[in-house]
Parts: sequence; structure tokens; C-alpha cells
Amino acid sequence: MRPLTEEETRVMFEKIAKYIGENLQLLVDRPDGTYCFRLHNDRVYYVSEKILKLAANISGDKLMSLGTCFGKFTKTHKFRLHITALDYLAPYAKYKVWIKPGAEQSFLYGNHVLKSGLGRITENTSQYQGVVVYSMADIPLGFGVAAKSTQDCRKVDPMAIVVFHQADIGEYVRHEETLT
Amino acid sequence: MKSNKETKRLFVGGLGWNISEGDLQNQFNRFGEVSDVEIITRKDDQGNPQKVFAYVNIRIAEADLKKCMSVLNKTKWKGGTLQIQLAKESFLHRLAQEREEAKAAKEKPTTGNTSLLEKMGVVDFHVKAVPGTEVPGHKNWVVSKFGRVLPVLHLKNQHKRKIIKYDPSKYCHNLKKIGEDFTNATPISSLTWELEGGNDPMSKKRRGEFSDFHSPPKKTIKVRKNEGSTASPAMRPKPSRIMESPWLKQQAAQKTPDSAITPKSSCASDSESQKVQNVFFQTSGLETTKNRNSMSDDDIDSEDELRLMITREENLKKSTWSSMNKSESDPFEVVRDDFKSDSQQFHTSTGLGIKNSVSCLDSEDNVMENDYDSDSGDTDEIIAVNKNAGKLKNSIEVSQMEKSIHRKTSLKKRKKCDLSDSIKERKRKNSVDIAVSHRVKPLSCKSLADSIDSEDADSASESTESEGDKEYNAMMKNCVHVNLTLADLEQLASSNQEAPKEDTDCSGQETTAKSDRASKSRRTVGDLHKGQQCINPEEIVASLLEGKEDTRGKQKPKENLKPKFQAFKGVGCLYGKESVKESLKESVASNNINKDHNSLKPEAPRSISMEKRSLYANGSSGELSSLQNAKANDSKEIQPQKKQFTFESQEHKVASPSSSEKRSRDPTSSLLPLKDKKSLSLAARTPRRGFDEDCCHRTGKSGDDSENRPNLSSHKAPEKSEVSRRHAQENKTDFPLSVNSSSDINAKEKQAEDNQKRLAALEARQKAKEMQKKLVHNALANLDGHPEDKPTHIIFGSNSESETEESCTQEQSQPGEEPVKEFVGRASGKLFDSSDDEESGSEDDSNRFRIKPQFEGRAGQKLMDLQSHFGTDDRFRMDSRFLESDSEEEQEEINETKTAEEEEIAAEKLKALNIVQSVLHINVSNSTSKGSVAAKKFKDIIRYDPTRHEHATYERKKEEKPKERKAKRKKKREEAEKLPEVSKEMYYNVAADLKQIFQTAKDTSEKRNNMPWNEDSNGEKAEEAQDLAALMTEDEQPGGFTFSFFDSEAKDVKEETYRVETVKPGKIAWQGDPRFQDSSSEEEDVTEETDDKKPSPEEVSLPEKETTRFFFFSKNDERLHGSDLFWRGVGNNISRNAWEARINNLRMDCRKKHKDAKRRVKPK
Repeated sequence: MRPLTEEETRVMFEKIAKYIGENLQLLVDRPDGTYCFRLHNDRVYYVSEKILKLAANISGDKLMSLGTCFGKFTKTHKFRLHITALDYLAPYAKYKVWIKPGAEQSFLYGNHVLKSGLGRITENTSQYQGVVVYSMADIPLGFGVAAKSTQDCRKVDPMAIVVFHQADIGEYVRHEETLT
Repeated sequence: MKSNKETKRLFVGGLGWNISEGDLQNQFNRFGEVSDVEIITRKDDQGNPQKVFAYVNIRIAEADLKKCMSVLNKTKWKGGTLQIQLAKESFLHRLAQEREEAKAAKEKPTTGNTSLLEKMGVVDFHVKAVPGTEVPGHKNWVVSKFGRVLPVLHLKNQHKRKIIKYDPSKYCHNLKKIGEDFTNATPISSLTWELEGGNDPMSKKRRGEFSDFHSPPKKTIKVRKNEGSTASPAMRPKPSRIMESPWLKQQAAQKTPDSAITPKSSCASDSESQKVQNVFFQTSGLETTKNRNSMSDDDIDSEDELRLMITREENLKKSTWSSMNKSESDPFEVVRDDFKSDSQQFHTSTGLGIKNSVSCLDSEDNVMENDYDSDSGDTDEIIAVNKNAGKLKNSIEVSQMEKSIHRKTSLKKRKKCDLSDSIKERKRKNSVDIAVSHRVKPLSCKSLADSIDSEDADSASESTESEGDKEYNAMMKNCVHVNLTLADLEQLASSNQEAPKEDTDCSGQETTAKSDRASKSRRTVGDLHKGQQCINPEEIVASLLEGKEDTRGKQKPKENLKPKFQAFKGVGCLYGKESVKESLKESVASNNINKDHNSLKPEAPRSISMEKRSLYANGSSGELSSLQNAKANDSKEIQPQKKQFTFESQEHKVASPSSSEKRSRDPTSSLLPLKDKKSLSLAARTPRRGFDEDCCHRTGKSGDDSENRPNLSSHKAPEKSEVSRRHAQENKTDFPLSVNSSSDINAKEKQAEDNQKRLAALEARQKAKEMQKKLVHNALANLDGHPEDKPTHIIFGSNSESETEESCTQEQSQPGEEPVKEFVGRASGKLFDSSDDEESGSEDDSNRFRIKPQFEGRAGQKLMDLQSHFGTDDRFRMDSRFLESDSEEEQEEINETKTAEEEEIAAEKLKALNIVQSVLHINVSNSTSKGSVAAKKFKDIIRYDPTRHEHATYERKKEEKPKERKAKRKKKREEAEKLPEVSKEMYYNVAADLKQIFQTAKDTSEKRNNMPWNEDSNGEKAEEAQDLAALMTEDEQPGGFTFSFFDSEAKDVKEETYRVETVKPGKIAWQGDPRFQDSSSEEEDVTEETDDKKPSPEEVSLPEKETTRFFFFSKNDERLHGSDLFWRGVGNNISRNAWEARINNLRMDCRKKHKDAKRRVKPK
């Protein structure tokens, strides 16, 4: 467990900023307490200071996880967002996509969102913009990347992919062993 | 008629169900030849025929047809009403016809189009193809718009049950579905798309932008290129030269002044060949051209290419990229293009690298790399020069080159040796100088690029790139000019041996040129300073500050000779700042550079002195004096840079020689002709030389420098600035002497002596300090004691005057004895003699040694950061005012982060926020930390602590006011409630006289009883009023009465409304006319009278006969007697009875009549 290096922080922030933009600032500088990012087993954890102190008592090899896992660094030192970060990122999401109830299941099984399943989308969403996927009942379902901009979404045929799947809450079941 | 007969198909409807074909045939045969009859019967479900009709093919003429129609139509025939219409041909028939036509078309394909068309029944209506015209012979075929023939369609409307006739001639958009949809066509601009993405590296890479990682590959490419060029010179085709020509021309154009001037030097020189060489070296561009001319030599060619590339890189910025364009336009050269792009990339990449380094403040590496690059380029160039020279200098200069790569300390030394050497060696020195100047050129390029980039990065927005280019050009020229000055100097030195007259001529010409050049060279010095600091990222702030002053200094020297002082001041400022801010190593480096530049110069003073010597013998002219001035200025300009070193030397001088010597030397310091100095310096040459050498070596060792500076600062801080200034000037004036002496002496054995001398110098310096202090004390005391010497200030204001003055004093000093006073006066005069710029400069120096109060401590660091953000913009200069809030924040922060862990986390957070800032490209600095935010938000708000006594002041005195208000409110409410209840008692407004009357009436009740009737009623009222008055007298302020809102008001109101006054009755009341009677009132009260009269008998019996006057009447008023006429008196009852009886009678009568009337009505 160690703090992130500058490069790591930058990579991670860039990724997160794709989803929440400048609200990232609010994650780092929280009014309700000091939170920080810690790297452990290539995973980045978002930990409150309190828990951090507690976790300091546990040896590194025994420590499974602490705080909330935001994602992990791949071997190529890219950052991959995990679904566990959804709770923290969803409230700050700038671009959202709502999917129809019929398409929910498909998305939760790890599939991309087709236009036929697209219920609603934030306007001015640009292409390849990170989005948070919601159900029509405003329940956050996961992360995605807009495959088409909002304008293009209007024109495109119904079977075209409009949101690439990034992470969904189905992973809690599907990838239970890797999520920490 | 026959010919008119056509085969027609007739529809015959309304037939009877039992009709036969034969019947029809017979029927129609009358009109024409019936060929075929077809009967169609429509039947319902049960099979009962409902409708029977027939189609009859008949060959009939028009007239017959009409006849047939008119005859048979609507006639009853065999149980049905006939209905005859023309029908379409049967489809079989039509089919057959079409086939026939098709056959016919096949049979006659070769027939002309027209015939075919005719055969097909198409009419040539090109002439009349107006939209809307029907095609003749084809019903429902219309010429539509656009000239096509289209059928008129009958379409069934989906919604309405209507058949719409679609006339294509009416609608022009019938081609719409065939053609492309042009309305939704994407614009051309959107056909090319761009990857949208931020500035993250991935997206940049996708876009093909590579920022940081280019310099290393670039280098390799360059190397490869060089190798290639060296390996295969044959591969270099002519285009390269062609391409080169433009910039060569440019360079030549730039060098033209050089070439114009250098011949002069050559003609004046002793050995022509050497001078030619010099020229050769100086104008590298020309040299390259020469080399190119000799293409046969492979080596030279390859080196050419090498130098070419380097110089090209340098010149890329300077030239307007014309050569680049040329090379681009060249179709044959593939390699060139690559190279060009490479160089371009290199240029940009270096810029980028520098930018990055500046912005990050961390990555010195990039800058260092760049340094290295340019340095390597320099070395290359130098090597090339050496090879081209092909002389024995090679070894020396190679070593020099190596040293220059490391640092240039040794170089200076060597140069000194050269300086001291004979003419042969001088030649070598020239080459060295040229090498140095060459090096200076790229250095300046680099430094300028650095400065530009740094400025850009700092967003000072002071200089744009174009400006930078201009500056660069200027720089290049300056460098060239440095060369020239060297040449000139040498020329001067050499021409010393020649006739002095010539010298004067030459110098006269050259002074102007030299002054310009000198100023420019100064500029280069400044620029070098700047560049140096830019290279050291820690000094960016300082460099920026310096940069400004530098520019200030730059602008002025161009104007005149005098402004040189200002320029000098600028340099001095630079130096001062450096000394304050630079770390030791950096300072050493910069000093070395300074020395390099200075080392270019030291010839000047010497040569001048030589000149002067000779001139002195001949008698100095005005022109020469001006020249001397210029030279002196030049020397001055060099001196401040050397201040520290010369300072030491001066100290030593002070220490070693006697005070008298010092005194005698001081006059020399006041800008006296150098000759005198020479004479003096001859005496003190040895110690000075030693210390000059010391200085040289000390620069090599940074530690001594650092020692020096504290000394300087410590001395200057406590002492008066004037004194320090004086010292500085002394140093200055001393310096050229020292340089001269050092140059005269062979410095080969310097290194051996260095250590000893350094030790000695340390001791000497300590001594010198004491001595200085003493001196200062003396000087101050003398100053105080002899204020009459002050007028000399004015005398020393101008240079020429001072010179003459000094020449006079000189004579005095030459005897050896000079009064102390005069020395002091001179000193003071000197103080003011030094130009204003100098003064301010020295002041600045003394100030700069101190850390500004607002930049102290952590908060100060913050301020510094802020300041660095804003750059040197005066509008955003940080004051201590900005410090306050920061310091508060700071304190709070400190309070908050007590423990180390917390501090760590806070630091981490800060770091993270910084990264966030950089990632998001927004300014998050406002919320650097939560604590600070809180502090900012609630800075002015004091937390109320009820336990603290001071905070009682913050308590609001709520209690009293609200209570009052509450009470008031309550009262109000009560009063509001009270208001409706009004006291039952009745009040009367009583007129005063009446009351009086009543009072008297009370006293004499008999009288009142005798009162007339109208008085009586009044009397009753009066009684009541009296009662009220009595009541009121009993209790003055009865609570029950007050129904006012407020007490005070209530009183007033009461007084107003219910005041009962005892007014004296007017004794002489109104005496009404006795005859006058108000009859109307009397008559009204007739009934009352009767009532009143009942008690009256008793009252009347009262014996009171007094005629007390009442209101209108007195008792027994005669006037009333007349009323007996109207008063019946006793007969009242009788008449009453009579009246009653009469009434009864009348009533009876009335009833009777009524009954009668009723009776009469009833029978009816």
C-alpha cells in the first residue's frame, strides 16, 4: 500500500475525468473529510483518512482491500475503472445515458448498448465521451463510452452501438473474484 | 364514309336477363358490322341474375355511332333500359395489337426514328411541350414539367374516400424520389473528421502529435546524416548547394559590414596573412562559401555539410525559412526534405523541451540536453574551423573546446596568456577569440530561445515569437560585432607601433562604431546572463526580473555615449541580482561567461593606455579625449562584472600599501587618464597581479565567491550606500589597471602560486575589511567636518569637466602628497560623479542583498510563486499586502496539520489537486486546501463564545427592547379590546352660561320651579350636568373614563372633550326683545306643557315672587301674559270631552258609512 506516484495519479485522474470532468476536484478535495488514493496490489483504493490509519496496522500481504476500489492499473500502466467506483462517480457524472428496461439486461450481461436500447442521453455528448449508464428508473448501472455523439445517435440505425460497455453492476456477480 | 368506319367496342348495359347474343347482333347491325358480342351476367348469391350487360364490337362510323347512341340509349328493350357507352378495347384485343406492333417493330428496325415513333403512336410534340398539354391521342397522358410525358394518375386517398387526380404537370417534384436527397447532404467540411479527445497523450498520439520524445531520435538522425554526408560525399548532389545559396546570401549580406571593416584592420595589421586568417575565421559564412567553391576536396565538403547543417539549425530561426521553402520546392532531393523536416522538428522539439522544462520547473534535463546539443554543435563547428585552418592551433583549440564544454574558466586563463604573449601568440588568441565568439553565437541563440520559451511559458506575454526572432537577429549581429571589436582592438594594439596620427584617425572613425558595438556587446552580455539563468530553472524568476532590466538597459545604450552608463547599470543590476539569488555553481558559471566576455575586452584598456601614452607625448586632442571617454566607459562596463574580484584585489591593495599610497591612488580612481594609473600601478603592480590571478582562480572555486558576497553585503548593509558606491567605483577604476598588469605579466606560473595567494588573500581581506571600516569612518568624519567640499559635486557632474579637473588634481597628486580633505572631497565628488544610474544601481545592489520582507518565510515563498506566475508585470507586483491573507491561511494550515501524517496527507492532497488542475486545465488553486477555504470563507466571522467576557460585546441587548415592545403591544391589544366598550354614562356639552344659570337655579329651586316651561326642561338638563360636574370634581382622573390609547393622550382628550369650565356668566345677558317670541318652539312643546303643568301647581305655590331673570324670560314676565289667548286654561277638560265625543261620533259615522258601503257592495 502506497500513495500513487505523480504519473499514476495523472493517468488515473485523466481516466476519471472522462466521466466526471471537473467534479474530480470534489473527489479529491472533499468537504466531509480527507480522502486519498492508495495503491495496493495494482489497485487504486479511495480511502478516507480514518480507514487509512486503521489499515496501516495490517501488513501489506495480508491486506485484501481497503476503502473503495476505483480500478486497477494494467500491466501497461493504463488505468481500468472498476464498477466499484460507480457509487462515487455516478453522482458527479456529467454525461449520462439511460437505457430502456428491455436493454438493461443486455447491458448488465456485459454487452454494448444499441440504439434500440437507448432511452435517453445527455445532450452534447461527444463521441468517446465517458458516460455513466442509468436505467430508466435512474439507477446507475455502469460505465460506458459513447460510441456516437448525441447528434449521430439520432441518425444512426437502431442496431448500431451507441455506448460501449466499460463496466456494469453485473460484474459484481460475474467477476466476483476479481472485484475487491 | 366507309373510310371513317372504325372498330369500336360498345358497352351496352341494362339488358334483360333473357337476352341473347343474336338479339344484340340484330339490334346493332342496323348501324354497323357487329363482329363480336359478349354478354356478361352478374348474379347474386342465389344465382339470380341481377345485372346483364354486353360488350359489342362493332365496326361503325362516327355518325352512325352517334345515331346509334341517340336512338338506342335509354330505350326499353326486352325488359331493360339500354345504356350504351363507348367501352375500352378488350384486353385480349389490345394484347394482340401490341404484339403485332412489337412484331412490326422487329421487322422494321432499320426504319428511321421518326417512323418508329410514328408507328408506336408517339407524336412528336417537342414544339408544343408546354407543361400541362395533353398528349394528343392519349387520354390522361400529360406533358409534365421537365418535359416528360407522364400519365395522369387517379389515386385513392388514404384518409378520405376520395379519388385524387394526380396531374403530373401540376407537380414538379415528381422526380424527387429518383434523385438524391440533397437537402440532407453533409457539408464537405464534415466529411473529414477528427478524433475528438482531450490533450491526453493517447489522443495526441492518435492525432499524430508527438511532443516530448523527439529530441533523442532527432539527434540520432542528425548523426546519421552527418555520417552519411561524410561517408558518401558523392551522394551530395548540387541541389544542396542551390538550396544553400539563399541563406548564404543572407549571411553574406549580414557579414558585409564585417568584410567592409575587416579590410581596414588587415591593412593596418602587421602581418597580412594572419589577418586574412582572422577574417577567414570571423566570417564563417563566407568561409563556407569558399569551401564550397572547392568541391573537389571530399573532407572539406563533408565538413561543409556538417557545418552547414549546424549553421542551418542556428539560422533557421534567423532566416525567414526561405531556404527551407527552397529545399522543399526542390523535387530531386529526398534526403534534403527529410533533413529539413528533421531540422524543423529539432527546432520545434527543442522549443517544446524548453517550454516543458520551464513549466515543470523540474526537468533541467531537457534544458541540459539542449545545452549539450548546441554545445556539441559548437564543438563541431570549432573542429571544422580548426580543420579548415589546418594549422598547429588545432591541438590548442581542441583542448579549448573541451574545456568550453566543461566550463570556460581555463579558457580565460589561456586567453590571458595569449594576451600577454607576443604577436604570434596574439594571432592564436584571435583565433581563440573567434572561437569564443562563435561559441557565443550559438550560446546566444540558445539563450534567446530559452528566454523566449521561458517567457512564453510564464505567460508574461512580453515578447512574442516574432520579437524573439528579431532579437535573435540582433543577437547574431551583435556577436558579429563582438568579433569586429576584437579585430579593431587588435588593430589598435598593432597600430600603436605606427604613427599616432594615424591612430587618431582610425580611432576617430572607430569610436562611433565601437560605441555602438560596445553597447551591443554589452547587450550580448546581458543576454548571456539571461540565457544562463534560464538554463537554470531555479533562477527563472530572477531571470525574468533581470530580463526586464536587461531590456531597459538595452534600449538606452543605443542613444548616445552617456546612456552607456545606464547600460552598465543594467548589467550591474543583473550582476547584483545574480549574486543575491544564484546558487554558487550557477554563479560560477555565469561569472565564467562574464569572464569570457571580459576576456574579449581586456585588450581595449591596454591598447587605449598605450595610445594614451603616445598621445600624451604628442598632446591630447579633443577627439582623443572623447575616445578615452568611450574607452573608459567600455572598461567600466566590464568592471562591474568583475566587481567582486577586483574588490578583493583592491582590499589587498589597501591592506598592503600604506595609506598615503591609497590616497594617491584614489585620485586615479576618479576617471583620470589611465596614464597616471599606469604610473601608480607600476608601483603596486606585483601585489595586484597576484590578486588578479587569485580572482581568476577563485572564480574557478565557488566557495570563495560565496565568501566574497557575504562580505560585500555585510559591508554594504551597515555602511552608507555612498561609501559602498565609492568603493565600487574604486574597484572599477582599479580593474583595468589590474587587468593590464595581469595581461602584461606572463601567467604561466599562476597555478602554482594560486593556493598560497589565496590563503594570503583571505588574511588580507580580513585586514582590508578593518581598513575599510577605518577608511569609511575617516571619510565620513571628514565629510561631516568639511561640508564646503560638497560643491565639487557639481564640478564632477559631467565627464569632460571632471577630466579637466582631475588633470589638475593629478598634477597635485603627482608630487605625491595630497591633503586628506581633498581626497575626501574627491571621493564625495566621485560619488556624485558616478551617474545617477550607477547610484541607483548600487542602491539596488545593496537592497537586493537583503531578502525583501514580503518574500520571507513560507508565506514569502508563496508570494514568490505568485509573483513568478505573474512574471515581471508591474501591475501584479506582489506586496506585503498580499501577504497578510496568505499568512493567516498559513497559520491556520499549520494549526490544522499538526501531526506529520496529516501533513503528509495534506501534501498528497495538494499534489493530487495540482495534478487535477493540470489534467482538467482549470484553475483549482482557489481551493488548495479545505482549511484555507474555510479560512477564506469565515475569516471575518468570529466564533461566539459565551464564556468569554470579551464576547459580551457581541451579545445583542435584546431583552429590554423586546420587552418594551411586548408591553406596548399588550397595551395596544388591551386598548384595542377596550375600545368597543363605552361607558354607559352620558356626557353633555354644556354651554358655560347655561351652567352658571343652573348653578344659581340650584340655589333657588323655587325660582326654577317658577321658570317657564322651556326653562324647566333646560333646568333638568342642567341638574344632570351639575351631577356630572360634581362627579368630576370628586375624582379628577377616573380610570373608567379613559378609553384613549395612551395615557398622555387620554388626558388631553379628556380635557378637551369633557372639560367643564366655570365661566362667569355674563351679567348682562342677551336682552331679547320682549315682543319677540319664538312661536314655533312654543307650539312644539304644547304637549309637554301639559305634563309640566301638573307639577307646576305645587311649585307655583312657592312664595318666591322674585323676578329672577332666566334665560329669555324673567319670572312673571309680562310678555308671557299675552299667551293666555292661546292657552285655554281650566276649560280644557270640557273641550276635551267635547272633542272626544265628537271623535266618537265621527268614528261611528265613519264605521257606519263603511258598513253601508260594504252592504252595498255585497248585494252586487
